[in-house]
Amino acid sequence: MSLMKNTLDILKSGSFDVAESDYKKCGYHLEVKLTESQVRDFAQAMLDCGFYIDFVSAVHVTPCFQVVYQFAHFDEACRINAKAMANAQGEIPTICDIYHGANWHERETHDFYGVVFTGHADLRTLLLSEEDADLKPLLKHADKLVNVETITRKSGGDAEMKPVKKTKEEQTAAE
Amino acid sequence: MSTMTKFETTDKHRFLLNMGPQHPATHGVLRVILEMDGEYAMGIDPVLGYGHRMQEKMAESRTWPGFYPNTGRMDYVGAMPFNHGYVALIERMAGIEVPERAEYIRVITSEMNRIASHLLGIGAYVLDLGAFTPILYAFDDREDILDALEDITGSRLTYCYYRVGGVLKDIDDTFIKRTRAFIENFRKRIPMYNDLVTGNVIFIKRTEGVGIITADMARRYGATGPTLRGSGIAYDIRKSEPYSVYSHFDFDIPTGKNGDSLDRYYVRICELEQSLRIIEQALDKLPDGPVLAKPKRAKLQEGDCSFSVETARGVLTYYLVGDGSEVPYKLKIRVPSYSNLSLLEEMCTGMLIADLVSAMGSLDLVIPEIDR
Repeated sequence: MSLMKNTLDILKSGSFDVAESDYKKCGYHLEVKLTESQVRDFAQAMLDCGFYIDFVSAVHVTPCFQVVYQFAHFDEACRINAKAMANAQGEIPTICDIYHGANWHERETHDFYGVVFTGHADLRTLLLSEEDADLKPLLKHADKLVNVETITRKSGGDAEMKPVKKTKEEQTAAE
Repeated sequence: MSTMTKFETTDKHRFLLNMGPQHPATHGVLRVILEMDGEYAMGIDPVLGYGHRMQEKMAESRTWPGFYPNTGRMDYVGAMPFNHGYVALIERMAGIEVPERAEYIRVITSEMNRIASHLLGIGAYVLDLGAFTPILYAFDDREDILDALEDITGSRLTYCYYRVGGVLKDIDDTFIKRTRAFIENFRKRIPMYNDLVTGNVIFIKRTEGVGIITADMARRYGATGPTLRGSGIAYDIRKSEPYSVYSHFDFDIPTGKNGDSLDRYYVRICELEQSLRIIEQALDKLPDGPVLAKPKRAKLQEGDCSFSVETARGVLTYYLVGDGSEVPYKLKIRVPSYSNLSLLEEMCTGMLIADLVSAMGSLDLVIPEIDR
């Protein structure tokens, strides 16, 4: 527990918006909300505290991309999930010179979403081929795209999943 | 996959060498562009994506139960933990309780799958270094596991046996007897692997001090699994964030000292025994009862949820974002070999090409898992 408390204190003193979360329900211990300009300072703080990088990814929502960073620690159970909104042009600073493993994760996110990691020296396609560089397969169609509020966990809300009502055809098929 | 290389060499003594995409030592369609100075690799640029299937897009275009079979088709050598992570993720999100007997069966089958995966990893690694015989012994033992698992799951590699809320069907006495016989038999075989490979002078010369990974490097690249534990860090999700019923069992986390290829290989050998211990205890303590909670078709709640498991190669994290419908809004699959391979450039620059084959093989890569 001490590592988690220490990290919480360090992040709070660095004026990051950090809160404890329910590990049993969401699978991480601390949740951090970052602004675009805090991303690099946060990554440096994580490295100084000895965390390793789990992944970097993004979610396509309105108003713009939500970039997700996850870190965990080799010594104690402490998983940290950080979210930052990219700017209106879909740009966010790179952390690949701080965490070298972020290099491929950022290239992949650029492949799938077109998020531009400013300062990244090598945003060539990684998993997609060059002719598909403009495909951006994980961008949502306009009818599926939701606001960032929709995919945010409601605090105090019921955590239970709602059962799906069977359609008439399925009911008759079951009978 | 980018056909453009990042190397712009003007030095007339240097040349580019393509290793792969069809090369025996890459264990699949992986291409590594090497900038060579004689026999030394001075620049390394892995090219991924030859087996890319856009799994994450598939996850977003079908309901959550519909995506489940895909999870067994990424790491086809050690598919059980991939299944495990996905069903456990949905269970965490929905708050579904799993019967204890089902959790025990999950642990038994996952650990058997881990042994099968390590046997293939060890056998193929030694094959890369030029020894043909050990892989035949490894496949012999692995066959026992695959046969036993085929009996209860119906598959030999791409399993789809776990269900949200339990497992598909109960294990029977034949399976238990067979597994116990395997444990007894395999315990006698482990010293043979050590005699055959671990103590071999040529093997040691090819691996000792080759491809050193430091703790700091592992942290910066997110290396996990035996690749990390070879560097002396006892990090294992089964201990640090215990899921399922792993906290019920007594087992150790083997670690290496130097972080070289030999240590990574030897960690895998030691983990065989630890997996046997877990299976043995699980069989002894196996509780009675149902193996599947009442199936529930449900919408995914709004918000995100993450679940990490320890696969044969390291940490696998599923990160799911739900929008209140049955279809995942986003599913990120963080696979261990992806991060493990990303440190290749730092680990191997300036190395002899023969050593590079040794160091890369010791990462025990599965390419379809990296490419997803």
